[in-house]
Amino acid sequence: MTKDDTHPLMRDWRILVLIAALILSAASIYLLPPAFDKGIQGNVQLGLDLEGGSWIQLEYKAELVTFETTGSIEELVQGLSEDLDTEVTLIEANVVEIRKHFTQEELEPVFAGYGATITNYEIGVGPETAETVKRILEEKINRLGTRDAKVNTLTTFGGASRYIRIELAGVDMITAQEIVGQQGKFDIRIQTTGNETEHVLYGDAITSVGNPAQHPIGSGNWGVPFTINDEGAQALREAAIRTGATDRPTDHELMMLLDDEIVYSAPLSADLASRLKVEEVRNLVASTGVGENALNRAMILEIHLRAGALPVDVTIAGSGSVSAALGEHFKTMSIIAGIIALLTVGLVVYYRYREPSIVIPMLLINTSEIIILLGIARYFTQLDLAAIAGLIAVLGTSIDQLVVITDEVLHEGKVPSPNVYLKRLARALGIIIVAASTMIIAMLPLAVMDLSSLRGFAIITILGVLIGVVITRPAYGKIIMAILSR
Amino acid sequence: MAFDLYDLVNKYPPKQMMAVPLVLTLLGIIIIGANFMISGVPINLGIDFAGGTAVTVMSDDTPDQMEAYFAAYPLISIGEGLNRGNYIRFGPMSDEEFRSLSRDISARYPDAKIDQIGESFGQTLQQQALLALLFSFIGMAIIVFIAFRTAIPSIAVVFAALTDILITAAIMDVIGLPLSLGTTAALLMLIGYSVDSDILLTTRILKRQGKLEEKLKNAFRTGFIMTTTTLSAVLALLFVSWIGGIEIIMQIAAVLLIGLLIDLMNTWMFNAGLLKWYVQSGRSAKGVKR
Repeated sequence: MTKDDTHPLMRDWRILVLIAALILSAASIYLLPPAFDKGIQGNVQLGLDLEGGSWIQLEYKAELVTFETTGSIEELVQGLSEDLDTEVTLIEANVVEIRKHFTQEELEPVFAGYGATITNYEIGVGPETAETVKRILEEKINRLGTRDAKVNTLTTFGGASRYIRIELAGVDMITAQEIVGQQGKFDIRIQTTGNETEHVLYGDAITSVGNPAQHPIGSGNWGVPFTINDEGAQALREAAIRTGATDRPTDHELMMLLDDEIVYSAPLSADLASRLKVEEVRNLVASTGVGENALNRAMILEIHLRAGALPVDVTIAGSGSVSAALGEHFKTMSIIAGIIALLTVGLVVYYRYREPSIVIPMLLINTSEIIILLGIARYFTQLDLAAIAGLIAVLGTSIDQLVVITDEVLHEGKVPSPNVYLKRLARALGIIIVAASTMIIAMLPLAVMDLSSLRGFAIITILGVLIGVVITRPAYGKIIMAILSR
Repeated sequence: MAFDLYDLVNKYPPKQMMAVPLVLTLLGIIIIGANFMISGVPINLGIDFAGGTAVTVMSDDTPDQMEAYFAAYPLISIGEGLNRGNYIRFGPMSDEEFRSLSRDISARYPDAKIDQIGESFGQTLQQQALLALLFSFIGMAIIVFIAFRTAIPSIAVVFAALTDILITAAIMDVIGLPLSLGTTAALLMLIGYSVDSDILLTTRILKRQGKLEEKLKNAFRTGFIMTTTTLSAVLALLFVSWIGGIEIIMQIAAVLLIGLLIDLMNTWMFNAGLLKWYVQSGRSAKGVKR
């Protein structure tokens, strides 16, 4: 291109918009906030399958029931709570949340007993409970200092929060299961003889739990301090004396069980043993040993001690994990896939037009479209493997439409006058807009549904199509005109 | 070259052009129906919808070794990719079993990708996917009708999209590609893609001046290259994901590849045939030359 061509082109609004969008996108990926240390992805959020990490999706064992009644609602709620032996809360004028799993068939006679009929039944909890659970889980996860964790409530069409999805970057499946999947009965037992143990106290006797710390400070010996109530302290002292642990502490391990699984087991310390001989002790430390691993164990133990009990029972609806190394492999492969796709597409259009001055702008437009897409998408969604498939499909579509424009403009092989040209460009854009609208409509359901992993895919596709129609296609139309009328 | 390619098809009268896609559609319906009779679902469900566990591991172990290692679990299949990638599928199992499975996996294959979907969650996903497919299709049909405002061309476009999905689904059955979240997304995308070239064709035929044959040829020239560029991007995607052992992208790419090929046929045989007949029979608006 000679300088004379570039000049008027650079003043065209379509081109200016494209350039502005490119600069803003590059900035949003690498500068806002500065992200030079994050490698090639900059500020683009990567999904777990590219970054490595685990996700667990829990389903509430609870339901929202909408009812109609002529009787007293207060009596109904009270009665339900007693008959079903669980917490029943009125969350709307005619909707109750039942915090235990029952089928609609099981509930119908109970409701009928209070002169009420069920008009709608949905598995899940109300917004308030969902918020509470989310907070507890976040608290649990944050204590672990996980670099990047997300807890999201997934809501069904009916408005019930049915699932809660936890994503933990950089955490493997087993640890994730330990953090999230287990809550419940916390039991401290003491070893009597051989493999026999005896119950000392339950989790409800624990009154407070401290952060993992070194005991004594600077020793490198990690442990979790916790406090038990008077009854607990009394039970512990009695058990320790009765079993003889106060005399021979090394023979009598103190075990902590969560849901009947041993999460901690260690002998009483000599210090504690001698103190228990003379008095009840309320402040205890569960020591986990020395080193990095011990610190990790201490952090998990802390969560267990807190028992992190959720107000509602949950089951694991689904889960998954990708190791960091595999994520890295997927990332490399995705980048290779993108480059190879771009090259292949370039070869195909070159085969068709045999004209570098058409093909090169096409590919440049295509590349800038991907950059703009990433720059915008980072505010809306994370990039996972499915989204990358969407991204590359968008690359294909985008070239499609550049072909439509080129062919429409080149119709009958003549270079048209500017007037005819604009008419043809408008017609080409007409075709593109209809095609784009159908693609957007086709993807919209996926983008609005909480359908787990496909949201990113749909959002990327929709954004890609939109950016194409609004920014890059008009600019390409202008560029190709300048080139053809040369 | 593209010219000659289209003459291969175009030399036949419209009814014969339309016959091939129609016969294939019928065949597709029969295959899907048969699959439904045998397994109760039109397309076999992947773990996303049926529940179960999928594991991707990079390992030099042979399938036999893996089968032996995972003997205690409800193993369904082991798929081998290139480059040491393996894709192992398990049926539904209890939380306990799954926990022990994930321990076993991390013991032997620390660099694994694990995905587990419970049966009830799978059912919820199924319902939502079905709704998504339905909404997409209806939305697409509405847009097509708004864009053309004439019955026959619009019906042709919608019908072509429908047969695209039907035949693609039947081929998925035949080659054993399961319906998963990824393939559902690909089918949805096909709705968008199939309309692409149909709209180009219909607009060129109905809204442009000129001889019908000439317009058909030109539309084919553009449309063919359009689909080919997308096809080549998809092919690259399929190739890289196959080498890299990225199952979800491989599934998406495979379905898009099949669907785009079917779409080529549907657009340039069925839809073009119908439009040709429509224009030749004089039903189209004035000004469109036969």
